[in-house]
Amino acid sequence: MTSPDRRQLLHASAGGAAALFLAPSFELLHPTILGAPLTVAVIGVGRQGRAILGELATIPEASVVAVCDSDDSRLQSAMRRAQGLRGYASHIELLDKEPGIAAVVIATPTHLHKEIALACIAAGKHVFCETPLAHTIDDTRAIVTAAKGSSKVFAAGYQGRSNPVYSLARSFFKAGTLRQLSHLRAQDHKKTTWRTPGSTPERDRELNWHLDAELSLGLAGEKGSHQLDVFHHFLGRHPVAVRGTGEIRLHKDGRTVADTILLEARFEDGLRASYSATLCNSYEGRYELIGGEMALIKLGWTHGWMFKEADAPTQGWEVYANRQQYHNDSGITLIADATKLAAQGKLTEGVGLPYTSLYYALADFVKAASEGKAPACSASDAARSTVVGILANQAVRSGSEVAIDPALLESL
Amino acid sequence: MLRLATRAMGTRFELVLGCEDGPQARAAGEAALERIEQCDARYSVFTNSSLIARANRDACEKPVRLDPELYGLLERCLALRAETDGAFDIAIGPLMRALGFRGQRIDAPRGSNLGAFELDRATSSVRFTRPDTQLDLGSIAKGHALDLAAATLRENGIESALLHGGTSSVVALGAPPDADSWRVRIGPDGTWEARLRDSALSVSAPHGRTADFAGHKVGHILDPRSGRPVPLGLRAAVIAPSAEAADAWSTAALVLRARGGSLELRRPHDQGWLLEDEGREPLLLGQHGCFAPHAGLEPTYR
Repeated sequence: MTSPDRRQLLHASAGGAAALFLAPSFELLHPTILGAPLTVAVIGVGRQGRAILGELATIPEASVVAVCDSDDSRLQSAMRRAQGLRGYASHIELLDKEPGIAAVVIATPTHLHKEIALACIAAGKHVFCETPLAHTIDDTRAIVTAAKGSSKVFAAGYQGRSNPVYSLARSFFKAGTLRQLSHLRAQDHKKTTWRTPGSTPERDRELNWHLDAELSLGLAGEKGSHQLDVFHHFLGRHPVAVRGTGEIRLHKDGRTVADTILLEARFEDGLRASYSATLCNSYEGRYELIGGEMALIKLGWTHGWMFKEADAPTQGWEVYANRQQYHNDSGITLIADATKLAAQGKLTEGVGLPYTSLYYALADFVKAASEGKAPACSASDAARSTVVGILANQAVRSGSEVAIDPALLESL
Repeated sequence: MLRLATRAMGTRFELVLGCEDGPQARAAGEAALERIEQCDARYSVFTNSSLIARANRDACEKPVRLDPELYGLLERCLALRAETDGAFDIAIGPLMRALGFRGQRIDAPRGSNLGAFELDRATSSVRFTRPDTQLDLGSIAKGHALDLAAATLRENGIESALLHGGTSSVVALGAPPDADSWRVRIGPDGTWEARLRDSALSVSAPHGRTADFAGHKVGHILDPRSGRPVPLGLRAAVIAPSAEAADAWSTAALVLRARGGSLELRRPHDQGWLLEDEGREPLLLGQHGCFAPHAGLEPTYR
């Protein structure tokens, strides 16, 4: 990862004046992958599976050859997206008839991950599994155990770990820019029913598994675990307890999962992460904040900012940095490819990553599988955040504090 | 009736479903809106991570792989460029920026801007054949997104709906309950009415968005061949089977009108055109009954 030292971030302009930009390295932003194209199958082509297919299609080092879904209309729709794609109704049939496939991407409902992941690992495939990994601690453990026993790559979909803006922000965090941490906060607010239309009542129930409390980890697990994972990745540790509340405020349509939740996760040293998610209002969308004595980092998928305190030490390069105004605060934008853009006089056009967060996660997997390297998000990384998500969901459902056993996380 | 909306492509998209509000209808409507939001994320020249921004960044140096959906759209854009005699062209990025419509103004490109990109079906990729090429889907993206949204509604069993993007691109699915067509008033005074049933409407007018260029007010629609903006007094409304075609042809109709010459020869047979030019008699082309004056007078079609 890029370290935030002056040498690496210095860009000498034509006039000789030095400007420092908060830039991830070129390699991080535009990954190059060695070797022949990796043959890939995508299992589960619902909303996320289709997004994955779209991104994989733009990665020349990956070649999607087969798709799999138990819903025929989804399968047919996915197969229409590219010529020559072969379709299968079950992962068993896929693995049986496509022995030459090197890698699989699993984007099925969470509670179906375990069986599929175990079968794919047993078949000797590189596996990218969407997150949370599973809906129970037992299933999570089973996946991790199998992944650890595999000689192939197992990567998971907590995207904060492969996102270059997040990596850049983390390097500032690790360098101590924030000093004493004060608080962590994240939210995911979007007005939506979170419902998928189904053609029959039975199909409707299957497609809307995430609205069924027996199968779903709710907003805490399905959305919250992704954002809590960012904190785990930055801090290198996990909370020891979590409290939560949840209610159905708007979508009283028979669902058993709250549409609005609040979480408070407590770390051993007393640091707290607060989290809110709602399906009733979209204000400010989705972001993570990491606050400290000298600065606050705000992360929002393709964008990142750093808000410095007035008494924080000022470095020379800050005069040249690109800034954005937020009400009363001015944030330094974490700019992708800043050095190149600055040379072209286009620095302000560089705000925002050149690829989507999902692209980086998939490119990282393809690179890891092609080159035999460790992925950005390992089975253990993902398992620990999955378990925190499972316990956070328990806290929301029970309305009381749930302890998170460090030994349990350590064992994963 | 159920109304849902989202903000995308710098405007507001709205759906009206001709059915009762309920979890199923709402979910179908949201799935359609999500398609529109995806199009915005994929095709916006203002979003760095969009597929179009990726192509604009890299396709001068090397072929850029596209997903099948965008590849298909670019193929159709090339066909439309040929059909419209270059009146519709998405390789107008530098011209739009030179006029001040896409953020920071740049110098106008020199010479012709035509023939600036090529597609390779085998690798599903685009490559720019002129170094200053920039693609801009502004004249077709709304229609394309609305077509995908309408298809999503159909897939989910919705048979009656009206969808629009910024009120200038409209798609009708079936007809409203208890009527034979969706009726859409056109223009600031609503003089004309478009009648839509499983068809789409696009209205283009240069004065819809303007910029100051060299001391003059110019509209956002220009002739790709000459780089010259279309006169501000013109307005075109096109009814076509798809919103994508309606969008492209309503832009092309204005450019062709500004160039002069016969429009009847250019108009595809399945489209209806209404062209207005300040101070002149409105021109109606195509299928009878597409457009009607709202006040009740019977229009004369050519």
